[in-house]
Amino acid sequence: MEAHSKSHRYAKLAGSLLSALVLSALAGCSRPTTRHLDFNQDVQPILASRCFSCHGPDPEMRKAGLRLDLAEWAMRKRPHHPDAIVPGHPEKSELVKRIESKDPHYLMPQNAQGVAKPMSTAEIATLREWIKEGAVYRPHWAFEAPKRPALPTPQSDAGWTKTPIDKFILAKLEKAGLHPSPEADKGALIRRVTLDLTGLLPTPQEVHAFVNDASPDAYEHLVDRLLAQPTFGEQRARYWLDYARFADTYGLHYDNSRDIWPYRDYVIRAFNNNKPFDQFAMEQIAGDLMPMKNLDPLIASGYLRLGVSSNEGGTIPEELRVNIARERTEAFGATFMGLTVGCAVCHDHKFDPTTQHDFYALSAFFNNIDEKPFNDDRPVWAPVVRIPTAQNLGAYDRVLAERSELQSKLNQMRRNSRGLVTQWLASGNKPARAVATDGLVLRLRLDEGKGEELKNSAPNANPASFNTATLKGEWGETTWLWPDFRMQSSTRVLLGQTGNYEAKQAFSAGGWFMFRSAPFHPGSFGTLISKMDSTQHDRGWELASDDGFLSVSLVNKMPKDSNPAEQPKKKGQSEKERKAKEPFDYPTPQDLSKKDLAANKPPEQLKAEKEAAKKAEAEEKAKERSKKDSAEKPPKDTTRQIAIRVVSLTPLPLDGAWKHIFFTYDGSGRAAGIKIFVNGSPVATRVVSDNLRGATIHTQAPMQLGWRDPDEHPAKDARYQDIRLYARALTSDEVDRLPFEDYAAEVATRPQAQWTEDQWHVMSQFYLNRVDPVYQAIQREMVSLDEQLDRLSKGGNLTQVSWEKPSIAYAHVLTRGVYTARTERVEADTPHFLPPLPKGEPHNRLALAKWTVSPENPLTARVTVNRMWYELFGTGIVETTEDFGIMGERPTHPELLDWLAVEFRDSGWDIKHMYKLMVMSAAYRQSANSTPEQLAKDPRNLLLSHGPRFRMDAEMLRDIALQASGLLVEKIGGPSVKPYQPPNIWEEVSYPTSDTLHYVQQHGDALYRRSMYTYVKRMAPPPDMDAFDAPMRDVVCTRRQRTDTPLQALVTMNDEQWVEAARALAERVIHEAGPDTHQRIDRMSEILLAHDAPAPMAAALESSLQQLQRHYAKDRKAANALVEVGESKPDASIPEPELAAWTMVANEMLNLDETINK
Amino acid sequence: MKQHPRCTDCENPITPLDLPIPSTLKQEWAAIETRRRFLGRSGKVLGWAALAGLFGEIGLRSYAKAADITAASSGQNNLGLPNFAPKAKRAIYLFMSGGPPQMDLFDYKPNLAAQFDKDMPDSVRGNQQLTGMTAGQARFPIAPSHWPFAQHGETGTWVSDLLPYTARMIDDLTIIKTTHTDAINHEPAIMLINTGNMNAGKPCLGSWLAYGLGSMNDNLPTFIVLQTKTNPKENNQPVSSRLWSSGFLSSEYAGVGLRSGADPVLYLDDPPGVDREVRRQMLDTVEKINRQTLAEVGDPETNARIAQYEMAFRMQSSVPELTDLSKEPQSTWDLYGPDAKQPGTFAYNCLLARRMAERGVRFTQIYKRGWDVHDNAVGMLPVLCQETDRGAYALVTDLKRRGLLDDTLVIWAGEFGRTVYSQGGLSHENYGRDHHPRCFTTWMAGGGVRPGITHGETDDYSYNIIKDGVHVRDFNATILHCLGIDHNRFTYKFQGLDQKLTSPVTAYVVQGLLA
Repeated sequence: MEAHSKSHRYAKLAGSLLSALVLSALAGCSRPTTRHLDFNQDVQPILASRCFSCHGPDPEMRKAGLRLDLAEWAMRKRPHHPDAIVPGHPEKSELVKRIESKDPHYLMPQNAQGVAKPMSTAEIATLREWIKEGAVYRPHWAFEAPKRPALPTPQSDAGWTKTPIDKFILAKLEKAGLHPSPEADKGALIRRVTLDLTGLLPTPQEVHAFVNDASPDAYEHLVDRLLAQPTFGEQRARYWLDYARFADTYGLHYDNSRDIWPYRDYVIRAFNNNKPFDQFAMEQIAGDLMPMKNLDPLIASGYLRLGVSSNEGGTIPEELRVNIARERTEAFGATFMGLTVGCAVCHDHKFDPTTQHDFYALSAFFNNIDEKPFNDDRPVWAPVVRIPTAQNLGAYDRVLAERSELQSKLNQMRRNSRGLVTQWLASGNKPARAVATDGLVLRLRLDEGKGEELKNSAPNANPASFNTATLKGEWGETTWLWPDFRMQSSTRVLLGQTGNYEAKQAFSAGGWFMFRSAPFHPGSFGTLISKMDSTQHDRGWELASDDGFLSVSLVNKMPKDSNPAEQPKKKGQSEKERKAKEPFDYPTPQDLSKKDLAANKPPEQLKAEKEAAKKAEAEEKAKERSKKDSAEKPPKDTTRQIAIRVVSLTPLPLDGAWKHIFFTYDGSGRAAGIKIFVNGSPVATRVVSDNLRGATIHTQAPMQLGWRDPDEHPAKDARYQDIRLYARALTSDEVDRLPFEDYAAEVATRPQAQWTEDQWHVMSQFYLNRVDPVYQAIQREMVSLDEQLDRLSKGGNLTQVSWEKPSIAYAHVLTRGVYTARTERVEADTPHFLPPLPKGEPHNRLALAKWTVSPENPLTARVTVNRMWYELFGTGIVETTEDFGIMGERPTHPELLDWLAVEFRDSGWDIKHMYKLMVMSAAYRQSANSTPEQLAKDPRNLLLSHGPRFRMDAEMLRDIALQASGLLVEKIGGPSVKPYQPPNIWEEVSYPTSDTLHYVQQHGDALYRRSMYTYVKRMAPPPDMDAFDAPMRDVVCTRRQRTDTPLQALVTMNDEQWVEAARALAERVIHEAGPDTHQRIDRMSEILLAHDAPAPMAAALESSLQQLQRHYAKDRKAANALVEVGESKPDASIPEPELAAWTMVANEMLNLDETINK
Repeated sequence: MKQHPRCTDCENPITPLDLPIPSTLKQEWAAIETRRRFLGRSGKVLGWAALAGLFGEIGLRSYAKAADITAASSGQNNLGLPNFAPKAKRAIYLFMSGGPPQMDLFDYKPNLAAQFDKDMPDSVRGNQQLTGMTAGQARFPIAPSHWPFAQHGETGTWVSDLLPYTARMIDDLTIIKTTHTDAINHEPAIMLINTGNMNAGKPCLGSWLAYGLGSMNDNLPTFIVLQTKTNPKENNQPVSSRLWSSGFLSSEYAGVGLRSGADPVLYLDDPPGVDREVRRQMLDTVEKINRQTLAEVGDPETNARIAQYEMAFRMQSSVPELTDLSKEPQSTWDLYGPDAKQPGTFAYNCLLARRMAERGVRFTQIYKRGWDVHDNAVGMLPVLCQETDRGAYALVTDLKRRGLLDDTLVIWAGEFGRTVYSQGGLSHENYGRDHHPRCFTTWMAGGGVRPGITHGETDDYSYNIIKDGVHVRDFNATILHCLGIDHNRFTYKFQGLDQKLTSPVTAYVVQGLLA
């Protein structure tokens, strides 16, 4: 939203005209005025700009308990205050007395410093009149669903109008005493419409054909032809990429490349296929949750992943996560709702009814994507999809469709899961079986949600609670069974002598953990649970994770240097080395859904299959590992270790998913007595050490969560829930029931009516994954389809997508937007002042997507047609395309906007239909020439008394230069390209190890592609585009600035690309027009301006040409130098001085005001 | 070069001011146009004088009058700047990207020597979130500064031996030991101090100044950004064009990069084979045709375009003149040192900044990267100081001897400070320091600020502020104040809000810093 808000320019003009009317009505007529004020048009803007900052929606800023944005508040009695508004009686209304007062202390409005800023007489008159008319409030215009208004019947409609649009335009012009202009001449018209619909110029042939086509529907034919061209999709996509903040790097710190160009190509495809806008919008918001026949919806969901992202070393993951959700929410608000919801990050919106609660409820929809906040400085990071190569596309799409059907069934069941659970329990089924509490000595549920005291909920717990030490923990950043617990850098959970066992004691421990890797900590290395004394050669026991490898150790003595795994991490290990070590593995949605399914995989059915796979894998890994060990690591001195130690063979993905990690130990004193479980299933392990030989593991060091004192790292950025210690070895069956079933059994003992959202979630998870046979069968089928998809997409391009987590979408309201200042936990929901989500729908992105394009939604259709209008006419009907809120501009033609919005919806969200409608209008087809009268009455042509004329956008300018010169390479899509760029643009700002440190210019076709394919590095966007107000794509931009600066002149005069284009254009006209100077000039004019050069222009150019010819004839060296500019070779058949002179003439033509304007 | 007839006799100045229409409408029109283009009186380069050339004196007077009318009646865009008599007309901002360690340069903590390698007390750190780089560190061992400090100047201010040149001008400086910020990592912190917001999309200080105060010359940009060549040995955190972006303000207020070497402004040089005469002739032809277009189409925007092409032509000569140092006297080189002869060094950029100040550039910002000393602070700080110390000294001294310091504000700051505890290993020979937002040292000199004072006190660990904290918002409010701007009144309506550089939390001008 970078647009330059020329605040209320029009509103003021209109306002002053209007107030003149009001004043005359008041002064001149004794009978009551028949003209009723329109609250939205006339009154609310005054109240909003003059009163709301102290008497508006924000309770923090509200003075004297008076709120003027809502009728019931404005009229209500306030103790000790006179009535602000007495409908029908301005003289009794305190509001009127205040704004008319002569006493500066009494006078309103006042600014924050208490200084009165009196209203204008017109404003006062309007408010007076409004109160006199009964002080009728209306909801804000944009929050009521549009209804199709009747067409106006302008009086002077003598055949000027061509479409319903024109009736609205003409009616308004009449009121303002203006007349429409005649239709533009055919050359100007074809140039305008071709530029608008394709972003390119019409060719001279096309111009001739159109000019000579006298048939009445010549123009319509032209429009239809243009709408069918593939360049139409490119031109529309170019705008949409601004609305979607598309770029080729991730924007912060390293600002590395980010591969998501398939999203760009999707957008082009969608426009070219005229994909209905409701589909188009839904796919971007929730494509991953929609039925799929091909990958397009999933690729589209990359929209949410387009925002800036970071991997800066010190960044705190939670802060980043909050920022990411916030960014998406603001982007969604701007792109689809036309609202500045971001204002409510810190406080209730000062003017719009958007509350802080609304903002975070909305952000919750975007807070539930299965991703790591850190991007690992990769070109893509999870979740991603691998796009199959062309030859596999058909097969892939067939499997995908099949999978999608199954997914729909699963989704359906999930949606109905409450019913299914209820039914299941009601039909007398035994609820889940709890795990016996025998031997349970410690159970930290960690569901306190606040404070420093952690309860031990084991039966007869002793002690019954523990206090966190040093710093208290962080609560509720994410949710699994319930909102979670995380430790700060110096939080300690000291559990005393709990778990003080000898090796002959059987015991079991573990719980729910969530790790996320963070920079500088590529692995979540660290202790999970320990009772170990690192000052005593690590005597004791420990459950730990090293880069995802789980380990259980029972130690008598483990000298520091005896075990390479225990040696301190190498200092100064370069990031490169670390990266090389990391598995280069991007979870695709297939992987993620597998993970999602695997979390609760029914063990019986899959066990055999899994075991087999595991065995094979284990053998291979063991081989690899032993190879590695012998090759890379110093020989282990296991003889000095007096310990048992087993380590899992396969690392856990550090993907931010909750995992239930548990081990059992049978008291045998042997490594074989240790089993490690993930999500209830045993995992393959290898024995590192089996050398305890009955020695003691007894230690006085306290048992701890997440730490092993004093200098081991905790598991980095880990979250914890339901941590348990049993003084016995649980059976495999019991461990299998621990993750969900045990808790489900507990929940089931309570009345359903009391179940919380989270508990319902647990019950549903348990029921579907462990009880319902249909659900499980579908899951199994999907696993096999996923494998096929994996196979069929091998070798394809990756692109980033969205993928919904299985958990509930929620967020926290953050005081002042500070990520640590969590208050209320809110479920995903739409803003309260807009239509609610349908009852019974799960509150996820799919519901949001449907809501966005539902007929009740008052904003989406209006916001979208308004942007179409802006693209064609240069200014939206609502000028603030990004703000339809109370402080946004009022529509210049409210009825027209509503008519268009309803038409759009009723047409089945037909995009091409809308563009056609607009360009077919008489309003659009008018001549752009303006008269002094028009300029005087409507200097910005907001009423459209003449046709649109404005400077083209950056990309269009470069594109037409390339096109006119014949250099343009028309190829749609593919990776972004790097054309000419002055040296040292990237180097100057980039991080030295960024993969976008050096701009490596490409050659050949890459130099001449359309500008929408030019690589955009966010920290240093292409400077020639930047000069012409192309946005940086950091944030959504729905309205570009349109400046005139000398830097622009420098680009079009001097940029290598432009000079080369001028030379090629010169060559082209020399060849196409023959030897005659006039014909050459005419040709150049035809190419660029779609008409012959008028005499004065031709004369000026000809005289210039003669001077240039003389100059370059004298200075051949200069001529040679000029024609050599650019990588394409000059035409050797044209003498250099001649070519140089014509190159400069072309340079002149390319720099004309008429060329640069549409 | 052919003398260009300045277009003082515009043939077709189509303006409604000349039309037989009601005067209220004329006023509306003029006000709208004026607000749009001129009220900021800036434009990236379009100056008042250029307009006079364009519209002739009469037209200009009409516009000026219209501007007054608007000023009296309009709320929002009536900038009315300066709000009060400014002490400084221009500013030069030396930005030390990466976060210089305050306790190694200015914030002298003699007591720390005795605490070498002792743990920093938890009570000092309190509840602070640490960066992801040291949050996992088991210990926070105190690393006293490796360098001795000495008292300098009449004020007897303590300065590290690392900064011998800065020490010489210490009495000219206004030192703030208690600057603090909200962000603990580079990206958010550097955006916060430059744009007032941790997230992208807001205008930077320079853009606000360009918008509010406009240009003081008609052939150079209002706001210029200089990058110092990076030293590959240093830890060069990135900077990005969003730091000099105009955000929601018109993009004409964005900083213009002035690069070392050929083509100091992008696309400035005529292409090979095009000399000034050819360019002049080309522009004359373009203008002739554009005037025909203007007459035919009647779009006032065409006038603006004609003016911008003329401005571009002037810039093509004025910028090379600016960067041509061949006429600088020997005394300049004696002052700035040999580095200043190397384009792209900090000293060179300081010299350019002085030349720009002389030529009426409103705001110059020099970025010097590399201060991010997470490790090997002992190895890198002498290099960083050697690169920057003399240039900064020379700039202030040069401005002073030319009488320019009185109305030029020089600012020296990074985005945050560094921790007293060592990141990574600590030895007597070396240490590293992590980011520290709670206190860091900055300085100002010149127009508007009180020389020879040190503002604020930090605790024994240079970790917390004991007295007189200056939030970066206050810092910015104070800078605006020196330039005659009340930061609370200097707003721009965007997204329905009166946006300002110092929002959203209340900021205060730090009276104690003012002259």
